[in-house]
Amino acid sequence: MQRPVDIAVSRLPEPARAAVLAAFGEAPTWMSVRRANAALEAVDARLRGPDVAIHLLASFNVEPVEPALRLGLECIPCRPQLRIAPLNTIEQHLLDKTSFVYQEDSLATVVLWRIEELIPEVLLPYSSGGTEVVRGRVEQLWGRIERACRAYRGTAKSPLFLATFPSPRQMSGLVLNSQLVGGAMNAVAELNRKLGELAASLPGLYLLDWNWWAAQEGAGAFDPMMEQMARQPLSLRGALSLGLFVGRHLRPLVAPRRKVLVLDLDNTLWGGILGEDGVRGLKLGHDFPGNIYRRIQREARELKDQGVLLVLVSKNDEAEVREAFRELPDMELKWEDFVSRRVNFNHKHENLREIADELGLGIDSFAMLDDSDYEREQMRMFQPEVLVINQRSDPLHMLQALQSTDAFDAYTVSAEDRGRHREYELREARSGRGHEANLEEFLRSLHLEATVERIHEGTEQRVVQMLSKTNQFNLTTRRHRLEELKALMAAPGSIGLTLRLSDKFGDQGIVGVLLAVPAEKGRLRIDSYLVSCRALGRGVEECLWAELAKQARAGKFAGIIGEYIPTPKNGLAEKFFDKLGFARFEKTSSVTRYLMEPVKPVEPPAWLASNGGQ
Amino acid sequence: MVETDRLRDLLVEFFALAPEIAAEDIVQERIAKWDSLAMVQLIVEIQTVFGVAFDVEEIDQLTSYVQIRQALDRKGVKVSP
Repeated sequence: MQRPVDIAVSRLPEPARAAVLAAFGEAPTWMSVRRANAALEAVDARLRGPDVAIHLLASFNVEPVEPALRLGLECIPCRPQLRIAPLNTIEQHLLDKTSFVYQEDSLATVVLWRIEELIPEVLLPYSSGGTEVVRGRVEQLWGRIERACRAYRGTAKSPLFLATFPSPRQMSGLVLNSQLVGGAMNAVAELNRKLGELAASLPGLYLLDWNWWAAQEGAGAFDPMMEQMARQPLSLRGALSLGLFVGRHLRPLVAPRRKVLVLDLDNTLWGGILGEDGVRGLKLGHDFPGNIYRRIQREARELKDQGVLLVLVSKNDEAEVREAFRELPDMELKWEDFVSRRVNFNHKHENLREIADELGLGIDSFAMLDDSDYEREQMRMFQPEVLVINQRSDPLHMLQALQSTDAFDAYTVSAEDRGRHREYELREARSGRGHEANLEEFLRSLHLEATVERIHEGTEQRVVQMLSKTNQFNLTTRRHRLEELKALMAAPGSIGLTLRLSDKFGDQGIVGVLLAVPAEKGRLRIDSYLVSCRALGRGVEECLWAELAKQARAGKFAGIIGEYIPTPKNGLAEKFFDKLGFARFEKTSSVTRYLMEPVKPVEPPAWLASNGGQ
Repeated sequence: MVETDRLRDLLVEFFALAPEIAAEDIVQERIAKWDSLAMVQLIVEIQTVFGVAFDVEEIDQLTSYVQIRQALDRKGVKVSP
């Protein structure tokens, strides 16, 4: 079984890794935690991830375990500035707009609470006025929780992470309490259900299932003596694990999801070796051990439908593999479920390099599941950016590794995510025709249609998603959150555009975003300019520009300032403003600034039917 | 020759004390860092390192090297060879 710490530690800079692993050992000590924190402090800050402020509100005393929680958060990896509110001031802080939890640039506010502290009556209902009275208290508590959460999300910029309530640990009358509608078990279930509904209805509110965590960790995560002594219920081991658990839930805010799952075939998607055992000799189905492989396939299909692209890379004969896909009755995955397949005897890392180019994705967005020690080792050696999900070849281990990986963690799945696989499939169909001699003729043959429009409520979420994910064609890589976007667009004169692309294969959704805000001297400044890499090379970038130029002229802006902020990934956008005819007026190592004054009119590309910003 | 003493070493490292301090001088009132927060962590530390669990009454008494050593002695734990 792969422990969460093994996954997390693999991302930490080498010099600190051993110390951190030691701290997460079987019998952790405070000295080992301090040594691990010191080892991380000693590492160059740039290798430790972003500097982030995290705010913690709890119904118990977190202070005594703060270094252990912080160590878990370090494994995101990040450099957490952890700020903890005084014991049991959750509601006050969420309601007080001057509280530090409303600090603008913090990563998140996390709430950890237990029914034992918030409403202890549920543990002792008969001496607390009876079950009906206790039930009323639970209702009241919920009303206060909901009010505080809505108030916070209505104003604060940072997302709010609420823990679910764990089942109470120190409780008498287990049998009786389990039967009572006004009892502790029922109260926990009811509050957790309501939390789920609230999270689904309030954007920026997420749950972390602390109740699940407590059941997984068991009694060893808690320390009854500490609970009495320090109003702090966690054991050291529990605090370390909880830090990792919270960290995993915050990680998607700073680390993008892996986009591609690379799957091997023999002894990964089925048991046995096709070339030796033949189709009939393969193990796959409802009986052991074929049921494990079937479940691996099912998990992969689930990821596919969440927007993860599946890629098949197998050293086999393609005709035989196609036959196996056709003939095997219990295949959960079909040949068509893979956006790209390489059934050949080339090195897998070379195959992946090719596929990355073909899909227009960075190799660092790939994750791989492969039973072969050799293949995994070779990948680590030649293409270390590819995440190797499993560490061993046992199928049950592979299944568990796939289920427990954080590589595909996300808070939501958008319509674009769900349709992504089809888009790339079509893209493959399109790129197959890219060899046609005349590029413009080819582009015309796609019947491309662009719909450019002002950002509105229905498209804001997608814009924020693109701002957070687009790396390659992204001139400034500014990761605005929803509230920041709204604020930018609220400024008089600002122009925010989206471009939706469709072609004869179907609708590709919003693939381009351009944000421009008024600047000094009657100019506009381009704050953000990005195009999804799957839509590059079709005139989308130019089409957005043509529309901005038109609107800038109509708005009587004197000129437009463009900025290029280099990152390790956006090299392909470096010369873009030069290409559009901007003049460079400032260049530092962190930014190149351009100006076009006055704004020249420009036509959108001829092959792209555009609605002209309506 | 100084005898190795695992408890003394633990307390020296835990409170970052001068390495030459006499074990008998390690007393809560004389060590500013030994506050209630440190006490909570120290108990976990001693229990884990020496593989013991203290009762409530014992915990109340663990305020110096000498007393911790006595408590460990009663549990049959030797802090030096």
